[in-house]
Amino acid sequence: MSDLTSAEVRPPAKPQPRITACAAPYWQHAKDEKLVLPYCGECEASFYYPRLWCPSCFNQDISWKQLSGKGKVYSYSVIYQSPLPSYQGDLPYVLAIIELDEGPRMMANVLNCDVDKVCVDMAVEVLFEVRGDMKIPQFQPA
Amino acid sequence: MPASSPVAIAAVSEMKPGRFPDMDGYDLYIEVIRQFLAEWSLKPADIQGLLACPSGMAGGGSNDIFVHEQLYEEMGIKPLFADTMNAGGSTYGLMVQRAVLAIQQGKVESVLCVGAGKFPKVSTGGAESMARMVSHEIYEFPYGTFIPALYAQVATRHMHEYGTTVEQLAEVCVSSREWALLNPDASTYGSEALTVEKVRQSRPIASPFNLYDCSIPLEGGAAFLVCSEAYAKRLNKQPAYVLGMGEFHNHRNIHQATSLTDIGCSKSGQQAYAMAGLSPSDIDFAEIYDAFSINPLVFMEELGLCPKGKGGEFFQSGAARPGGAFPVNTFGGLLSFGHTGDASGMSMIVEGIRQIMGIAGERQLDKANAGIVHSYGGMMSEHSTLILGRSA
Repeated sequence: MSDLTSAEVRPPAKPQPRITACAAPYWQHAKDEKLVLPYCGECEASFYYPRLWCPSCFNQDISWKQLSGKGKVYSYSVIYQSPLPSYQGDLPYVLAIIELDEGPRMMANVLNCDVDKVCVDMAVEVLFEVRGDMKIPQFQPA
Repeated sequence: MPASSPVAIAAVSEMKPGRFPDMDGYDLYIEVIRQFLAEWSLKPADIQGLLACPSGMAGGGSNDIFVHEQLYEEMGIKPLFADTMNAGGSTYGLMVQRAVLAIQQGKVESVLCVGAGKFPKVSTGGAESMARMVSHEIYEFPYGTFIPALYAQVATRHMHEYGTTVEQLAEVCVSSREWALLNPDASTYGSEALTVEKVRQSRPIASPFNLYDCSIPLEGGAAFLVCSEAYAKRLNKQPAYVLGMGEFHNHRNIHQATSLTDIGCSKSGQQAYAMAGLSPSDIDFAEIYDAFSINPLVFMEELGLCPKGKGGEFFQSGAARPGGAFPVNTFGGLLSFGHTGDASGMSMIVEGIRQIMGIAGERQLDKANAGIVHSYGGMMSEHSTLILGRSA
């Protein structure tokens, strides 16, 4: 009975990303709390998100490179009302586009920060949030 | 038929937006077509082509991708050109563009473009299913995305780059409501005027957006007939000529947009101006897809209708309102007319056509020789710009 009750009050788990074959190294490194992105030797640039070729030149000879995990807020929104059951407990939360120091942009939440303090160009650093048996990159003030 | 031969829209009809709990997307389609045929007294032979759009996408995962087949059979026509196509909100602008090419190619003399849209209630899981549809399943959705929060990224960045204020965003809503109060078909017709204060006092959703910065989810649909000039003139002594058109497909997921303040609209706009041989100063009015208050503000800039970074000042000046120097969204916009889900991209085209035809009722503009109609699909992902005019 007590198990049933606790299951009823526990908020639904946040989404766990599906691991595609081309992104397996990305998620494996994330599990080790390293931000590792695909890297194109032709363009000498990392790119996000993982795919089978470089979106700038179609080069399919992709390697993987660890990034500094540092970046800044490119844009953001403070969410006061969300339709997502798994995020109700986080309101208000920050949905942001982060520009990494190495160039690529990615979407993430800004955690461990008063929502009123978030601003464009704020310096942030990566941290990793447990989602089931995975970890996903998130960001917090640097 | 030469590639440059004039093409015009000869007939147009739109349902009054509302909630139709007893009708599914297909029922709405049939009602849209019934109203259209009744309004324009057309015969089966008048319609040689048909373009339709899946009607249940906003509900998440529509499978009626054969809707054109069912519609032409039920109508009783055997078209020479037909398809079900989708580019989100830009679907109907792109239908015009595909129809123009088919007509100029000599395949057909007329193409019926039709759309019907359901819009699931936000509270019943609709917002989550739409969030899954418009954000990357793996690299965005797990971070708690939903539609206002994604558009908000563009607004926040514009505020950062150009000093645009939340009050200026609210001015877009105020202007749209003033127009809606002149449009008996608008869902807010007969309501109170909005003020900047009322917008700012409405409840916060996703900064910088409050409730009134968001369009009103409803259901409905519309249809129009694109024709060769000779055909159009047979049906309507003042059809709306398609003078220019352009399209551009920029990204799918908002975090992949190279710039959030030059997001692809300028590219489709430049093509449309070039084809029409017109410049922004030749345009009398604009109808711009406005899921949120930020959209018309950014797209006025991207279409060259006001200087870069000055969209906020433009709306604050009152120029877009009734009686203003450059009317924008004269039907009330999706903000105050209503957003009809899968069919939302119809409403601004319908209004552009009506203004050019001179049948816009109390809100008819004195000067409507050339108007620009911009619609986009996804998270400002893909863009259609049309320039409509009174003469070829």
